[in-house]
Amino acid sequence: MKLNIEGLLVYFPYDYIYPEQYSYMLELKRTLDAKGHGVLEMPSGTGKTISLLSLIVAYQRAFPLDVTKLIYCSRTVPEIEKVVEELRKLMEFYAKETGEANNFLALSLSSRKNLCIHPEVSSLRFGKEVDGKCHSLTASYIRAQRHSNPNLPVCRFYEEFDAVGRQVPLPAGIYNLDDLKDFGRRKGWCPYYLARYAILHANIVVYSYHYLLDPKIADLVSKELAKKSVVVFDEAHNIDNVCIDSMSVNITRRTLDRCQNNVDTLQNTIHKIKETDAAKLREEYRRLVEGLKEANVARETDIYLANPVLPDEVLQEAVPGSIRTAEHFVGFLRRFLEYLKARLRVQHVVQESAPQFLKDIFDKVCIDRKPLRFCAERLQSLLRTLEIADIADFSAVTLISNFATLVSTYSQGFTIIIEPFEDRTPTIANPVLHFSCMDPSIAIKPVFQRFQSVVITSGTLSPLDIYPRILDFRPVTMASFTMTLARTCLCPLIVGRGNDQVALSSKFETREDFAVIRNYGNLLLEMSAVVPDGIVAFFTSYVYMENIVASWYEQGILENIQKNKLIFIETQDAAETSMALEKYQEACENGRGAILLSVARGKVSEGIDFVHHFGRAVIMFGVPYVYTQSRILKARLEYLRDQFQIRENDFLTFDAMRHAAQCVGRAIRGKTDYGLMIFADKRYARSDKRGKLPRWIQEHINDGSLNLTVDEAVQLSKHFLRQMAQPFRQEDQLGLSLLTLEQLQSEEMLQKISQMAHQT
Amino acid sequence: MASLSEEVLLVVKKVRQRKQDGTLYLMAERIAWGPEGKDRFTVSHLYSDIRCQKISPDGKAKIQLQLVLHTGDSTTFHFANESTALKDRDAAKELLQQLLPKFKKKANKELEEKNRMLQEDPVLFQLYKDLVVSQVISAEEFWANRLGGVNNGEPAPYNNKQEVGISGAFLADIRPQTDGCNGLRYNLTADIIESIFRTYPAVKQKYSENVPHNLTEKEFWTRFFQSHYFHRDRINTGSQDIFSECAKQDEKGLKSLVTQGVKNPLVDLLSLEDKTLDEGYGISKALPSTSNANKSVKESSNSAIIKRFNHHSAMVLAAGSRKGDLPTDQASETSSTDGNSRDSDFFQPPLKKVKLQEAIEYEDLQRENTPKTVALNLKKSDRYAHGPVPLQSQQYTTSQDIINSVSYIQQEMTNYKPNLTRVLSSTTATSAIAALSPGGVLMQPVGQQSINQMVPTDIQGELKHLYIAAGELLRHFWSCFPVNTPFLEEKVTKMKTNLERFQMTKLRPFQEKVQRQYLSTNLTGHLEDMFQMAYSKFHIWQTRRMMRKT
Repeated sequence: MKLNIEGLLVYFPYDYIYPEQYSYMLELKRTLDAKGHGVLEMPSGTGKTISLLSLIVAYQRAFPLDVTKLIYCSRTVPEIEKVVEELRKLMEFYAKETGEANNFLALSLSSRKNLCIHPEVSSLRFGKEVDGKCHSLTASYIRAQRHSNPNLPVCRFYEEFDAVGRQVPLPAGIYNLDDLKDFGRRKGWCPYYLARYAILHANIVVYSYHYLLDPKIADLVSKELAKKSVVVFDEAHNIDNVCIDSMSVNITRRTLDRCQNNVDTLQNTIHKIKETDAAKLREEYRRLVEGLKEANVARETDIYLANPVLPDEVLQEAVPGSIRTAEHFVGFLRRFLEYLKARLRVQHVVQESAPQFLKDIFDKVCIDRKPLRFCAERLQSLLRTLEIADIADFSAVTLISNFATLVSTYSQGFTIIIEPFEDRTPTIANPVLHFSCMDPSIAIKPVFQRFQSVVITSGTLSPLDIYPRILDFRPVTMASFTMTLARTCLCPLIVGRGNDQVALSSKFETREDFAVIRNYGNLLLEMSAVVPDGIVAFFTSYVYMENIVASWYEQGILENIQKNKLIFIETQDAAETSMALEKYQEACENGRGAILLSVARGKVSEGIDFVHHFGRAVIMFGVPYVYTQSRILKARLEYLRDQFQIRENDFLTFDAMRHAAQCVGRAIRGKTDYGLMIFADKRYARSDKRGKLPRWIQEHINDGSLNLTVDEAVQLSKHFLRQMAQPFRQEDQLGLSLLTLEQLQSEEMLQKISQMAHQT
Repeated sequence: MASLSEEVLLVVKKVRQRKQDGTLYLMAERIAWGPEGKDRFTVSHLYSDIRCQKISPDGKAKIQLQLVLHTGDSTTFHFANESTALKDRDAAKELLQQLLPKFKKKANKELEEKNRMLQEDPVLFQLYKDLVVSQVISAEEFWANRLGGVNNGEPAPYNNKQEVGISGAFLADIRPQTDGCNGLRYNLTADIIESIFRTYPAVKQKYSENVPHNLTEKEFWTRFFQSHYFHRDRINTGSQDIFSECAKQDEKGLKSLVTQGVKNPLVDLLSLEDKTLDEGYGISKALPSTSNANKSVKESSNSAIIKRFNHHSAMVLAAGSRKGDLPTDQASETSSTDGNSRDSDFFQPPLKKVKLQEAIEYEDLQRENTPKTVALNLKKSDRYAHGPVPLQSQQYTTSQDIINSVSYIQQEMTNYKPNLTRVLSSTTATSAIAALSPGGVLMQPVGQQSINQMVPTDIQGELKHLYIAAGELLRHFWSCFPVNTPFLEEKVTKMKTNLERFQMTKLRPFQEKVQRQYLSTNLTGHLEDMFQMAYSKFHIWQTRRMMRKT
């Protein structure tokens, strides 16, 4: 249908529309009009992606000068591919309606592992291996060497691309990862570099967060993207953690040992080169004197290693004299390394800030702040000069130099914690230096500064106001949309007591309590008898799950559950879990029914959807608080309190509830779907917890279902499931939660919708 | 009396049945019991009639064996020979245990099937009562057609019966019971053993390797339940455990399953993340220490339990679907063996495409694909039933329309040429008109409603049954035509007599009853017509046959 969103003609590739999609587009349009940032929450399964794409594409067509590019960031590879498929659908609709082929170029970009078509390289299993192998075939100096020695191995796909691919722009169209590979195979071009090159002139780019948020990669890939882009972060409820992760470094003794080897290798290589080709080193020195800017005009294939900090802060100046010559730099690294080794020889926990660290290092080994800042850049230059092929081997020294650059660049927002041993095993010395970022806004700041509109959206962003605070930006629109429902297809129940009135809770004090564990087991057992097909149960942590499973096994609860359904359990091994997941789906598919025991914050809870019969009930055992005893977390909480005035408890609860919401939200993936959401912990009944759940879940929790016993919950579930099992047709939804164009245009409905949008 | 050819497998003396001493005989095809001193059997059951046997618990004073039949009846034998009672009973039990499954295979499946059909279908049951119980036709005749229909119509469920899956909790069903003197007893049934074999082929292999050459069956199962294999959470495994190999095999199988990877890309957790952080970056999330040494025993036993459950569920699932998708399995096997997982890239996209499309589809946002049929919405159903009514004049909005239509009709009329060869004869036409005009035969208010009102419900019910029964008989009758085999000839004559008998025994009494109640005899008119039709057909056939013969 064709929609009129405040004067903008939007093509929407479906015959019907959900009211919330309409209001979502309204809000989005306002955000784009204001050229500002936005935070939008809309339940999963209400067609968020297609609304976003429809509106932004329409906007791009209407105002090609205002918005030149859409950068759509999602988290997982399947998500990315889904977005591109939806986009394809939209574009097909455009072509059908307007009758002309349109000239949009949209493509997805992923790592080499997902795009490589070189038979040898692509057969490697791990991303890092693929990257390293690719680098060893395509780095500029390797290709230069090949001029003198044509026997060296070569990637013909890259060569072909380099020779021809750049002149011919990628023809307009929609390119998913597989399409890129196909295209690459047909033309004999490297799909990865083709995509990297093509994103510069593409209208829509779909890739993962890291390409924007991780400065090490962002600088390479996304540096030249136009300012007038709209950036969308989908599934952004965890965006702060992504930011933090990309800026944090851990150094163990093993890292240092490997680093030592690296430095030795460097030294030897320099020595050798000095004898054979001293001119090369002199050339490098000359370049460094002229300044990094010059030195950094690197070819795209070299940029395997990049600077962890924001580009313009470093590149203005020349590399300081003390580390300009190769030998001096290696000596410098040695000194730094020895210092770190000394620091790791501690008996007690040390926590300090970056300035303290810098002062200490200056006092002890006379290393200045300035050369430290250039460490990463200098190492990159050196590795290039030494023509080191297998760069993956040098990951340790790269890590150290990145750490040096980071610690000397940011005086705030980071903390250094040195722990001599793990908390659980105090007898085994395993010193770790955590350099952890506490301020997610550091990584995302350049994104907000550079692009005119950044939209943060997800199914679970409640409470909305916390994201602008921790990410430090000022949104022009903030809205939370609920799911309009013709039938209440979700049934949140808070089970606070067992049948024997024992309070159910995963809190620390009652964690080992057999009564609680038994009642949890009872809950699962009873549910397994009532709920058809699949049940997913989430535990607060892996250790907790292991313990509970063991004691359920001893008590014979699992055997009884097996009478009703098969049991699959998430393990710490991803491959094993994938298999369990597939078997779980198979069991749901063939009607046997299954239970999946899984962990909140795990991979399953974040990336796997349990649509329809794959998840008729989700049980959340306990409140998934993060492990609060960790020093890093404590430091971060402190920082949040001091800098953003966010109370520790608020943040912890917020964090727990967003994960709980993620878990239970896995079951509802649309209006025709239905599922039970069982919160098995009495603490959920408190308003400070409940209030932090997304609105679309919250509004279906009625006061009667706040503190149920297991039996009561089973009764309610039976009732709910029986109702939901009745046929549900399109007509039932029409006019309520599903609108035709005419219905949408009616005055009454518009009023209703505008009301809905203002309930933020 | 037992025929001489019958082979007697076991004779047990001093067995009581209904407080009467006697002798129990186990023969090749049946079990029989005769009271002492008489040479006839008062109890005799074919093995195929026996559903199962039950024995009294060991502690009990009376040592008994109960046979439960398919009909639900049961017979109890009391072994009364004091010294050897237990041994006798066990001998009988063992033998029965071996014999029963053999007969179970063909254990009156047909009877069960018939029973089921009768129970599920009340109409059929009534028909059965009307026709068979009242001896209008024999039971075989009745079923010959029925079951044939079942067989031909849907051969799948009957011929190759659906594979029954395995209960996920079959191991839980083997509840160990303490026998009072420091031991455990496990009760194994044939079903459980089959479940174990199907789920764990490795155990089956062990079984066929070791039993009965090395171990007796009992020993084998004892060892099985003692083994680490059964109690997977026990870490210390005996070295002479014959099942340790099984465990290893399973481990291998599991590993190969894991390395094979998953076919559905949406659940592949390995390739979920696009760009993982390099080692050393990120907030460390309590990396699991790589060395197993510092893992406590409890922890590793916990993870063993988890592994075991995953494995068990996977095996149960696989056992259930093993037969069904053997060919597809092989197909995927070949595709994955001809290269590593990356090579199967070329096979991957279709599935991936499908899964992706599924994932992005919003079925309710789309118009339904099937052409929309408009439901008939009748405001006044009687108008629909009674034919057209003159259109109301207001529906002709303009006079122009009327003029147009009049001229159109005129034009039609001028062109009208009667097709005289195909018109009705005047007499038929008048009779039809008469029948259709008010007061005519067809216009009598004999609608459904009037029958409802006029005829009491019991008569209605009876009539219904009569119709069904007659229909069934007639179906048999008509299905004989064309009569081209001697068998059919015979059958058709039989069916005719059946029909006549039905008319005599069922229809006549009903007619009389109706007459007695002063109801219109018209009720059975149609039935009679049907019979007459059949008879005349029969006569025609018969005369033709006579002519041919002469």
